[in-house]
Amino acid sequence: MSLRLPLCAVFGLALWVSACQLDKDQKPARGVVHYSLSSATTALGDDGEPVISASAQAGIAGSLEMLFGTPQAPSYQLLPEWKDEGFNPNWPQFAKGDNGSGEVDPAALRADNQIYWRRQLAAIDAGLWERVFVQDFAPDLVTQWKQLCAETPVEARNDEFKKAAREAFENHYPDLAASSELYRQQCLHCHGPEGGGNGPTAPFLNPRPRDYRHGTFKFTAVGKAQPRRADLYRILDEGVTGTSMPSFRRFSQAQLHGLVDYVRLLSMRGMVERSLVATYTEEETLTAGDTIDAYAEVWEKWQKADSKVLNFDGAVPAPTAESIAHGRTLFMDAKTGNCFSCHGPEGRGDGTSAFVLNPETHKVVPAYKDDWGNEILPRNLRLGVFRGGRRPIDIYRRIKYGIAGGPMPEAASSLSSDDIWHLVHYVGSLSERTQHKAAAAHADHAAGAHSDGASGEKH
Amino acid sequence: MRYFFTLMLLLVPILGVWTFVEADRWQLWFPQNVSSFGGEIDGLFNLILYMVGFTFIVTELALAWFVFKFSANRPGKAVFTHGSHKLEMIWTAIPAVALLFIAFSQMETWAKVKFESNFPKGGKYTKERPIAELWASQFDWRVCYPGDDGAIGTADDLERSYEFVVPVNTDIVFHLRSRDVIHSFFVPEFRLKQDALPGHTIPVWFRAEKEGIYDLVCAELCGWGHYKMSGRMTVVSQAEFDKRMADIKAEWFSNGKEQGQ
Repeated sequence: MSLRLPLCAVFGLALWVSACQLDKDQKPARGVVHYSLSSATTALGDDGEPVISASAQAGIAGSLEMLFGTPQAPSYQLLPEWKDEGFNPNWPQFAKGDNGSGEVDPAALRADNQIYWRRQLAAIDAGLWERVFVQDFAPDLVTQWKQLCAETPVEARNDEFKKAAREAFENHYPDLAASSELYRQQCLHCHGPEGGGNGPTAPFLNPRPRDYRHGTFKFTAVGKAQPRRADLYRILDEGVTGTSMPSFRRFSQAQLHGLVDYVRLLSMRGMVERSLVATYTEEETLTAGDTIDAYAEVWEKWQKADSKVLNFDGAVPAPTAESIAHGRTLFMDAKTGNCFSCHGPEGRGDGTSAFVLNPETHKVVPAYKDDWGNEILPRNLRLGVFRGGRRPIDIYRRIKYGIAGGPMPEAASSLSSDDIWHLVHYVGSLSERTQHKAAAAHADHAAGAHSDGASGEKH
Repeated sequence: MRYFFTLMLLLVPILGVWTFVEADRWQLWFPQNVSSFGGEIDGLFNLILYMVGFTFIVTELALAWFVFKFSANRPGKAVFTHGSHKLEMIWTAIPAVALLFIAFSQMETWAKVKFESNFPKGGKYTKERPIAELWASQFDWRVCYPGDDGAIGTADDLERSYEFVVPVNTDIVFHLRSRDVIHSFFVPEFRLKQDALPGHTIPVWFRAEKEGIYDLVCAELCGWGHYKMSGRMTVVSQAEFDKRMADIKAEWFSNGKEQGQ
């Protein structure tokens, strides 16, 4: 009984001391981490030995680290010829644009930063320093803010300080290391540390998260080439409807552009790795020259992305009844559109060519796999859910240029762009909720045309 | 020892009340209210808070008093009692009356906010012609505005993710829908929360009275990415709203060249 009070006091004191320790803003020191090689590189052959010898694997890993750095300190190796061009992809590109693709508009980023950091800016203006709270989503800004505060004591914070503080927030553009940290917080759990689409939550998702290492991205405006920054940015900005990829617009535009920079680094790293593995498999040896060649080649592909953009010149035509009817004819025609063979006569994604009968299990299974080895189904066009976007131009691009990495082909060359627009209008009309009944009646009426088309395909 | 424990127990109501008094200063209290019916919701909250707070203080004081009075070193023997019909009647009747009072006093506000028959009529947006359809899905919000035809579910619908833009000082009616599981629309500044059920189209109304950017969050644990499911409710002037709609429309029907997308 007499012991209880002192025990309580000692216990309370211990709790208080440990709480104070936690409060000291000490994060546990992290060890240096490295990117891993892909499972294709480290795969074992039939004899149980690695296909690529352990020493060659170490060589590839070393080369990649030299070219791209580590997750905590990602940085590109600079090629000699970039010096003359003044191109340095490691430099935070705020207010500078990017030689690879120049869509980053500094004024827009600044304006967006002012909205994103509005609470912080208001607190700075009001002189409420303790309310300037920077989430660790922006690690570089946290460092910058702490440094600013450490340099100027509270009494000495005048308008000059306020101006400097404002500018730090308004001009915020993360470097690769900061973007890598944001990537690890927000993206890694699905897309994996190397962007291999193999994060811890990936097995629970359908469709599976994108594996960047092929350098192939589905929903772009460049056909099947490497995407532009604007294409990747749009995915982060809008999300991919019908998948687990949400919109990340709650982050500032600068942070999203930073993430695009980092995704591009991961993608290039994967492409160089695949290229080195291909070279080694062919030649049984790897030289330093091979590595630099592969690196330069991959960079060229990404830098050329902007020149590959496939635009439609002119205004997007409005749908008319004739256009929709014509679109349907093309949709059902085996020689021109031939859409029905996969997407089904009613656009329900149940066309006969998209499925095969598995002779062993006697089950109907999807006929196609995408480049990443996942089974893939044709889109059900009735749901109004289009992963690459529901805008007319998005559907136009999907139809005309196909979808990279999947079985959706480019449109036949016999189709003019007017024909593609007819198809776009027809596909758009399929997902109109108010017209479902009418469209279903129409489809019944055209059932005869379907069987004709199918037999036509077999010939 | 009896003084020590009595003081400890007295600290509970004192610190408890102090927390509420100081909450506003530490920004632990409500976010600002910007909706027309938010004041009534806050009023109901405060009503219950005062009722519960009064009970809390009385019972805590009684507890401290009993601990002080009937401590172990009090001389004499304890008396065993069992049951008091009168007392039981009282402590059943008082809460029953209190609960009925709460139940009746909230009815009007609830009906005003949630009953479809009480939705604002005669305005630009009605149950039949909502401003937009808000789709919740794992794990984001997508807004589907009607195109020129004013009807949703047609080919000219305009779709944007994340940001829901509405004009200020206007009765807004929108349709809440879910693509997969149960989500919940919650804008703390509007004092408005409504579950989104798959397969249901749920009309929701509000009237925002102050321009600004407010957080739109999912208030129903909807899966592993629930914490990611945030959106932005942007309340702007009518002129700015028209401009935003024009921008969204221009972007939607662009050929992808001007915006580089």
